[in-house]
Amino acid sequence: MNITIDGKICQAEAGEFLLAVAQRNNIYIPTLCHSDALPGQASCRLCIVEVVENGQHKVVTSCVYPVTREVEVITNSAKIVAMRKTIIMLLSARVPGNEEINKLREEYSVPKPTRFTSAADEQCILCGLCVKACETVGLAAISTISRGITKKVATPYDEPSEACMGCGACAQVCPTGAISSREEKQHRTIWNKRFELISCKSCGKHFITKEQIEYMRNKLGSTDDEILCESCKRTHIFKKFKDLYGVAAK
Amino acid sequence: MAMEKTSIDFSSTHKVIQKYPQEKRYTLAILQDIQREYNYIPREALLILAKYLNTPLSKLYSMATFYKALSLTPKGDNIIKVCDGTACHIRSSMIIIDEIEKSLHIKPGETSADGRFSLETVNCLGSCAIAPVIVVNETYYGKVTAARIREILGEYGGN
Amino acid sequence: MGANSQKKVLVCCGTGCLANNSLEIYNGLKSKVSAASVAVSVEPIIKATGCNGFCEKGPIVKIMPDDISYYKVKPADVDEIFEKSIMADEVIDRLLYVDVATGKKVQSQNDNDFYKKQMKLALRNIGEIDPADIDDYIERLGYQALNKVLFAMTPAEVISEVAESGLRGRGGAGFPTGRKWKQCAGYDSFPKYVVCNGDEGDPGAFMDRSIMEGDPNSIIEGMLIAGYAIQSEMGYIYIRDEYSLAIKNLAIAIAKAKERGFLGQNILGSGFNFDIQIVRGGGAFVCGESTALMASIEGNVGEPRAKYVRSVEKGLWGQPTILNNVETWANIPLIINNGSEWFRGIGTKGSTGTKVFSLVGKVKNTGLVEVPMGIPLRELIFGIGGGVIGNKKFKAVQSGGPSGGCIPESLLDLNVDFDTLAEAGSMMGSGGMIIMDERTCMVDVARYYVNFLAEESCGKCVPCREGLKRMLEILNDICNGKGQLGDIESLEEICSMTSEAALCGLGKSAPNPVVSTLKYFRDEYIAHIVDKKCPAGICKELTSFYIDQELCIGCGKCKRNCPAMAIEGEAKAFHTLDMQKCIKCGNCIDTCKFNAVKVGEEAI
Repeated sequence: MNITIDGKICQAEAGEFLLAVAQRNNIYIPTLCHSDALPGQASCRLCIVEVVENGQHKVVTSCVYPVTREVEVITNSAKIVAMRKTIIMLLSARVPGNEEINKLREEYSVPKPTRFTSAADEQCILCGLCVKACETVGLAAISTISRGITKKVATPYDEPSEACMGCGACAQVCPTGAISSREEKQHRTIWNKRFELISCKSCGKHFITKEQIEYMRNKLGSTDDEILCESCKRTHIFKKFKDLYGVAAK
Repeated sequence: MAMEKTSIDFSSTHKVIQKYPQEKRYTLAILQDIQREYNYIPREALLILAKYLNTPLSKLYSMATFYKALSLTPKGDNIIKVCDGTACHIRSSMIIIDEIEKSLHIKPGETSADGRFSLETVNCLGSCAIAPVIVVNETYYGKVTAARIREILGEYGGN
Repeated sequence: MGANSQKKVLVCCGTGCLANNSLEIYNGLKSKVSAASVAVSVEPIIKATGCNGFCEKGPIVKIMPDDISYYKVKPADVDEIFEKSIMADEVIDRLLYVDVATGKKVQSQNDNDFYKKQMKLALRNIGEIDPADIDDYIERLGYQALNKVLFAMTPAEVISEVAESGLRGRGGAGFPTGRKWKQCAGYDSFPKYVVCNGDEGDPGAFMDRSIMEGDPNSIIEGMLIAGYAIQSEMGYIYIRDEYSLAIKNLAIAIAKAKERGFLGQNILGSGFNFDIQIVRGGGAFVCGESTALMASIEGNVGEPRAKYVRSVEKGLWGQPTILNNVETWANIPLIINNGSEWFRGIGTKGSTGTKVFSLVGKVKNTGLVEVPMGIPLRELIFGIGGGVIGNKKFKAVQSGGPSGGCIPESLLDLNVDFDTLAEAGSMMGSGGMIIMDERTCMVDVARYYVNFLAEESCGKCVPCREGLKRMLEILNDICNGKGQLGDIESLEEICSMTSEAALCGLGKSAPNPVVSTLKYFRDEYIAHIVDKKCPAGICKELTSFYIDQELCIGCGKCKRNCPAMAIEGEAKAFHTLDMQKCIKCGNCIDTCKFNAVKVGEEAI
C-alpha cells in the first residue's frame, strides 16, 4: 500500500514499521534507542511523528508503529520538533557530560539546561538496548533495576555477574557509550568483572575472553576449531576457498 | 539497616517454591511467598528459584526490585505503614511522617539501626473516613495526630 | 418475636469498619446469640457484610426485617443491641442517624440523606449479604443472568445487549464495553482470555475494593458471561497486593462457585467451560495499566507496551484478551437480567447507568456513593457528601486520581459524566472524588501527585521518567521557597511534551494534575515563587501563623492541642504563637472555633 511521508508517496507492506519505510525512502528521523538488530525498545521517543487519518492527528513512535492503512505521516511539524527539543533537553539534563547527547543538542539548537541538578558522570539514558543485547546473546547478565526515577541498569547486587562472559555486546549497542569496557593488553574489565583475554593463533592479538570461547563451544559443540580473530578468520576462510576452487591469486 | 541473618533454613525455600509449577508466570507469586516466609528475599532463595524456573538471576533481581511488595533487605521487627493516600495527605500525613522521623531517626523506606522499626509510606488503605491512618504491624490507628505518635510508638518500645 | 420473623443482623465488615473494631462487634453479637440459644426459638442470623459505603459513620449495624440502621456502634453497645433490638423489638435512639435538615432521628437506611439519593446497582448486594455465603448471592438473583445467557442467548446476542446498554468502562478511560467485546470476538485466534482489573491504585478510591470484598460473585458472574460471549475458557482476576481481604473473599467465592457448578467444566450442563485464577499484584500502581497488568500476569515486571496493536487482538500471551474493571463486571449480570433498554434509561445519553464515587478528603460524609450519571457535582459533594468539614470554604475537587485534574468552585454545576469531566480538564477515572478546602495548597497537591507518579512510573520512557523527575524537582523547589522565574514555563513545556509523547496512559495523563492546578490556581504558584508565601498555610518554609488578638478569647484549646508547645497564654487572655517552636502542623487553625488563628504574618 501507499503512505505519504512529508508529502512523499512511499510504498509499504502491511505491518511494516513507519521508521523502516521512512529510512528506505531516505527520509531522516532521529533515533537513539533503535537498533535494526534489536528493534522495539520505543523508550527514547525521539522518533515521534504525526500520523494523520480522517483529519485526526496523533503522535506515535515510528519505530514500532505498524502501517495498517494508507495514512499521511509528518515527521517534522513544529509540534514534533518542539517535543523533540524537550526530550533532548531532558536527556541533556540527565547526562550533561555525554558527547552523543551534546551533539544531538547542538543539532537541534537546544541550549544546555542549567536549572536542574545532574550527576556529572552519568552517561546512561536507560534506552534498554544493552539489556536486550545481553538477553539476545543468551546470557541476561544485566537487567533493569527498580523503576521510576530510580531505575538503572546493573548486574544483580551490583556485583560481578557469574553469567557475564565479557563479550562486550552491550557496550557495542550502547548509543551513548555509557558502558565502559576497559581493555588492557591481556585483560578486559567490564561490569566490574575482569576477564583474561585469549590470543589469536595467527596474529597473536588478545581479543576474546576464555568465557566467550567456552560459551560458544557449549553452544556449537565443536572443540577443534582454532582460535582466530575476525580478520585472521576471514583470511583463513578465503584461503580455504582458494585452495578448494583453485582460484588464482590476482 | 538490619543485618541479613546468617543462619537461615533454606529447606523451607524448596517447600515454598515446589507448591508451584515450573512456569514463568508464577514468578511473582513465588517471590511473595518467599517474602512472607523470611520477611525479605534472601539471596540464596533467589538463586534456588532461578534454577527452579530456569530463569536468569538478573530477571528475578529485576522483579524483586521493581515490585515494592518485595524486599531484598530484612524489614524491622515492627513495620509502620503511614498511609499517604490523597485523603490522608490532605489531612496532614506528612506531619505524621515527620514526627516518626524525629522519634526513630529513619525516613520512609528505611529500617532503624537496631532493626526494631521499618517505616514505609503506602498508597491508600481505603480507610479514608479515619484519615490520617497509620498501621503498625496489623493494627490500624485512625485520626492520628503528631501528639499521639510518641504514645503509639511507645506501645512498641519506641524511645 | 413471631416464629416467622427471624431477625437478620448485618454487621459491616468492610475494611473501613474493620479498622474501627467492627469484627469485635460481630463476634460479640455472635457469642451473645450462641450463649442465649437455649432461650431463643428462632436463632437470629448475624452476618458480616461488605462495605456499606457510609464509612464516616461506621461501624454500621443493620437489623432486619425491622429495617433499623445503627451508626458509630462500639463494642460496648453489643449488650444493649442484643437485649433491645434482637431479643426484643426496640429501637436504640442514640445509635440512629440524625437527619441534617430536620434534626430528626431516622430509623431506616433508606431514609437517611446519604442513601436516599443513591441508586445501588454495582453495589446492590454490598452490606446486605455475607460475601462468603453463595446462597445469599443466589437468593438475590445471583447467577440467573448466567443461566439466561447459557441457555437462552447466543454469544452475539450477549455482545449486542451489552453494546446497546451503552455501558462504558468504569476503570478510567470509559471505553464502550460492548465495542471492546465485539472487537475481541472478531479475532479468530484461540485461546482467548478474560481479565478483571482489580489493581485499584488511585489513592482515595476504594469502590473496587468494596465490591471485591463485599460481592465477589457479581464479578465472577460478569466474567463468565463475557467468557461465553467471546468463547474464552480462562479468566484472571488481578488483585492489588494490599487488598488481602478482597483476595481472601474472592478465593472463597471462586471455590464455592466451583462446588456449585458455576465454574469449571460443563457449567450448569451447558457444555461451556470456564475457570478463574486469582493473580496477586506486587505493589505497583503501573500494573493498573492494562498492558502492564498483562505483563505482570505473564511473570514479568509491569512495563506497559505501546498500544498500536490493541489487547483485544493481541493481549495476554499474544492472544485476544478482554480486560475490564471490577465495577464494569459487577454491572454485567444486571444488564443481562434487566435488559439494555432499562440500563439506557439511567444516567445520561453518553454515559448510561450509574457510577460509584468515593467521597474523601475534607468532606463530612466520607464514603462510597452510587448515583446515576449526570448528577450535578454540587449535589454529590454538598447534598450527599454533606459539604465541607467544619463548614470551611470549598476550594476544589480532584477527580480521576493521579490521572485526573482538579475542578474549582466555578464548575460545580456540571452534571457529572465521562464527557463533562473530560471537558473540564479532568477525567472520571475510577470515580475517586477528593474534596479540598481553603486549607489545601494546590501546588502541594500537584507536587503530591507528581511525587506519587515519579515513584510508580515504570521508568522505561524518557518523557515520563525524566519528565516527572524534573517536574518534581521544580515543584519541590517551589514548595520549599526555592522556586525560580521561568519554572512555570518549564513545567508547561514538559507537560505539553509528556502528554503526547509518553509511552502509556500513566505517562500521558501524568501532567493533568499540574496542568489543571496551573489553569485554575496559577496565582498560588506565583505566590510561592515570587512572594515566597503559601496562602493555604501548608508549605512549611513559606508559612507562618499568628493569633488575631481581636478574635482570641483565650479558651486555650489551641494551646492544649499544640504538639510543639509553641502557644503561650493565660486562661481568658489572648494567646500567642512562637514561630520558632511551631512545626506548622495546623492543629491550632483546625481546632480554633473562633477563627482566631490566621495564616500569614501579624501586621505590626
